[in-house]
Amino acid sequence: MTVDFLFDSLVSLFPSWENTDPFLVISMLIPLVATFGFITVYALVVIYAELKVSSFIQDKVGPMGQGVGLHAGKWGLLQPIADALKLLSKEDIIPSSANKLLFILAPFMIFVGAFISFIALPFNGSIIVSDLNIGIFYILGVGSLAVIALILAGWSSNNKWSLYGGMRSAAQIISYEIPAGLSLIVVIMLAGSLNMQEIIIYQQGGISNWIIFDNPFMPIAFVVYFISALAETNRTPFDLPESESELVAGFVTEYSGMRYAFFFLSEYANMFVVSVVAVTGFLGGWQSPFSGSLDSPLMGVFWMLSKTAFLIFIMIWIRWTVPRLRVDQLMHLCWKVFLPIGLFNIFAVAIWTVLFG
Amino acid sequence: MIKYFTDIWTSITTILGGMGITFIHLIRARQDNVTLQYPEERWPRPERNIGFDHDNYNVIRTRLHVDMDDCIGCLKCERACPVDCIKIVTEKAPERGSDIKEIKHVGVTTNGTRKAMVVTRFDIDMSECCYCNLCTYPCPEECIFMTGGPNSSRHPLDYEFSEPDRDNLIYKFAKSGTKEGLDKYIGEKSAES
Amino acid sequence: MGIIRGEEMVLNIGPQHPATHGVLRLQVRTDGEIVSSITPYIGYLHRCFEKHCESVTYEQVIPFTDRCDYLASMTMNFGYVVAMEEMLEIKVNDRVQHIRVVMAELQRIASHLLGLGAFGLDIGAFTPFLHMLRDRERILDLFEMTCGARLLYNYMWIGGLSHDLPVGFVESTYKFLDYFEPKIDEFVNLLVHNKIFVERTADIGVMPQDVAISYGVTGPNLRASGLKWDLRRDDPYSIYNKFEFEVPVGEGGKGSVGDCWDRFYVRVLEMKESIKIVRQALASMPKDGDVHQSLPKKIKPPIGSIYKRTESPRGDLGYYIESDGSNIPYRLKMRSPAFTALSVIDEIAAGWLLSDVLAILGSLDIVLGEIDR
Repeated sequence: MTVDFLFDSLVSLFPSWENTDPFLVISMLIPLVATFGFITVYALVVIYAELKVSSFIQDKVGPMGQGVGLHAGKWGLLQPIADALKLLSKEDIIPSSANKLLFILAPFMIFVGAFISFIALPFNGSIIVSDLNIGIFYILGVGSLAVIALILAGWSSNNKWSLYGGMRSAAQIISYEIPAGLSLIVVIMLAGSLNMQEIIIYQQGGISNWIIFDNPFMPIAFVVYFISALAETNRTPFDLPESESELVAGFVTEYSGMRYAFFFLSEYANMFVVSVVAVTGFLGGWQSPFSGSLDSPLMGVFWMLSKTAFLIFIMIWIRWTVPRLRVDQLMHLCWKVFLPIGLFNIFAVAIWTVLFG
Repeated sequence: MIKYFTDIWTSITTILGGMGITFIHLIRARQDNVTLQYPEERWPRPERNIGFDHDNYNVIRTRLHVDMDDCIGCLKCERACPVDCIKIVTEKAPERGSDIKEIKHVGVTTNGTRKAMVVTRFDIDMSECCYCNLCTYPCPEECIFMTGGPNSSRHPLDYEFSEPDRDNLIYKFAKSGTKEGLDKYIGEKSAES
Repeated sequence: MGIIRGEEMVLNIGPQHPATHGVLRLQVRTDGEIVSSITPYIGYLHRCFEKHCESVTYEQVIPFTDRCDYLASMTMNFGYVVAMEEMLEIKVNDRVQHIRVVMAELQRIASHLLGLGAFGLDIGAFTPFLHMLRDRERILDLFEMTCGARLLYNYMWIGGLSHDLPVGFVESTYKFLDYFEPKIDEFVNLLVHNKIFVERTADIGVMPQDVAISYGVTGPNLRASGLKWDLRRDDPYSIYNKFEFEVPVGEGGKGSVGDCWDRFYVRVLEMKESIKIVRQALASMPKDGDVHQSLPKKIKPPIGSIYKRTESPRGDLGYYIESDGSNIPYRLKMRSPAFTALSVIDEIAAGWLLSDVLAILGSLDIVLGEIDR
């Protein structure tokens, strides 16, 4: 949608140009650069939030810049930037026995997987890079690209810990796609569309029309989706692939510097993607919770980002509370708890909709 | 089947309970904070007489210090050290209890003991020291102590004595040139007589 | 369902690994995630202490005992001075005894706090670890107030103590105990009953009582297996027979007796019992009494040997001291409780998953300084 809008406005701005191909390229590049900038800024903010929330939970104050000289700014606000600079300036190590090509490829692939999800995320009624009519399906699909990258990273490092991490994450992400998908199928059943904007428009009219309050089974579907999303993004309690006390650092053991930063960045980018999908599917997207008020396009962006930020905060909060699951318990949870609940939900919602809908 | 659902129920309740506890910590962060911003804020240095009112004594172990004017060279601290980080060399003084101005040797200690020895070398390797405090107890003149000890008023308490060079951690308490000065002094003395 | 067996992989956990509690190398043979055998390799922290003790005098041994189990230096001192006093037939006065018990029990709480926190960290819970360290710090403050050191105290001497209690120590300790008791409950709610934690620890690494006894496992690890064996109660040294306290044993609260959860929970209960002992000791402590009263002028034990064991936070800590009549020990041997606890790991952890092995290792609460000495 944004691409079309940019293209049309470029064409109308320069009507004398015969060849419109450069306009197409430019109108594609602008959203991409903007998205990349957004991911970077957002990651810095979330890293700061993670540092601070974890510190407060643990009775510390977290990064605090004080006094004179080089320091992390007021309340440590510059800490994530310092972290990023540190990662950038670190030595880039490629182990001599690693498979060089795949080792270099893996961080890019995982980032691409997270990055291309962003083009289907709606920020308000009109800000969406491409309003795909299979938006939600597309996001679920490209989300699985991460698996390939993680296996590549784990295998190409030629390190046993990395291999364990890669194998665990492959099993984990593929498994948790299913309960996440089943929960979203319920949403699609209700909204009758795979298009992100149409799902949001279905929830028009205040907080009571949000899908999560549509019927008594939807909160369960939301919880199942949210926990599956945690597992897909490798967050605690599902951070088995990189569990630092077991596998040292899992699949990122051998990575350093900027390559490590890409894994880091894509984890946080994935958190954003799954949160936006949850907000879109269950919490009314960019719609205001109060029917008819505060729903200008600008407020739409505000609602979208604040709901997403709330879900990300819950992810951080869970991370610093609970221990980690074991790999077989992870599978148990997926296949024996979430899958039956997800299937049951589909039937229950279908019957409910037929009877009361 | 019942166990299946009770398991799910206990999972939800216990995890939510834990999250409640962490949330309380999160919102009480200002009151609960236990850390300090190190270079600007420091733990208050323990007060001089940290409650030992019977004895104006501070137990805090920081670093060793020797008051050379009081040292009689009895080697008790050297023998008490379990890691042998104290090295003392003494020479016989030409005259017991008399000052030798040339090498700033004080003949009588503050306790009134007349010294028979001149300490020409008194090195403490603080990088080897194990801070066991064993050397301070046998000292008859109480001249070796962890700063903050009985003579703390003369020396500030200090925890931060890191050095860029390891050699700087060898504290040489006897002034350099004491040995040569003493030899010269004795030589002059014998030449006079 | 047939099991597909592939090639076994040898994996070295450590010597540099976040979960080995020091420098320990576990060589594990793994079949996928399943661990088939574990061989611990120790000695990375060997500092020759026992040999070194043969060249220093009896007083100078105490700083070395500090550094063996650096998380429980007070109880290490305690065991040594109790053994030496029995050898020299020194009777110390009541105030010294009470102060020693208070210190040893505070040290037990501090040691368990770190052990439990680190176990939680192995499971993946980071927050409880820092909460535990926060409370441990308060105990270290009490120690610093008493003897000027925070980790390696050299506080207990043969025949006495290096310092008397400072003014205000008793009040500070009461204040700490009042602060700390609710924190244990908070910790229990935050971690111990957490379903994920229970899943990770209950029924994992079950150590049957006979295995524990035949390997010589002692302390909380043995008590978790259901045997009520505590030297403070069964072979009382110092003045432990004067105090009322329970000996908590593992009851299989969430799984079966002797699993990781029991080993964990026994330590939690032991902290509560230690609080009880500290309160009793503070209440009955005599007001006067010189802590240097019975310090011997010269320490020259008669020719002979002694073996004395005491209850350290990790279990049965024994000192074997052989004297040839001079002022330096002819031979000094420590019986390390963590060493025996580590030796049992292949027996109880083989066959479990890789994550479980590290959970079991954490539940044994080993300190490498004491194993290697």
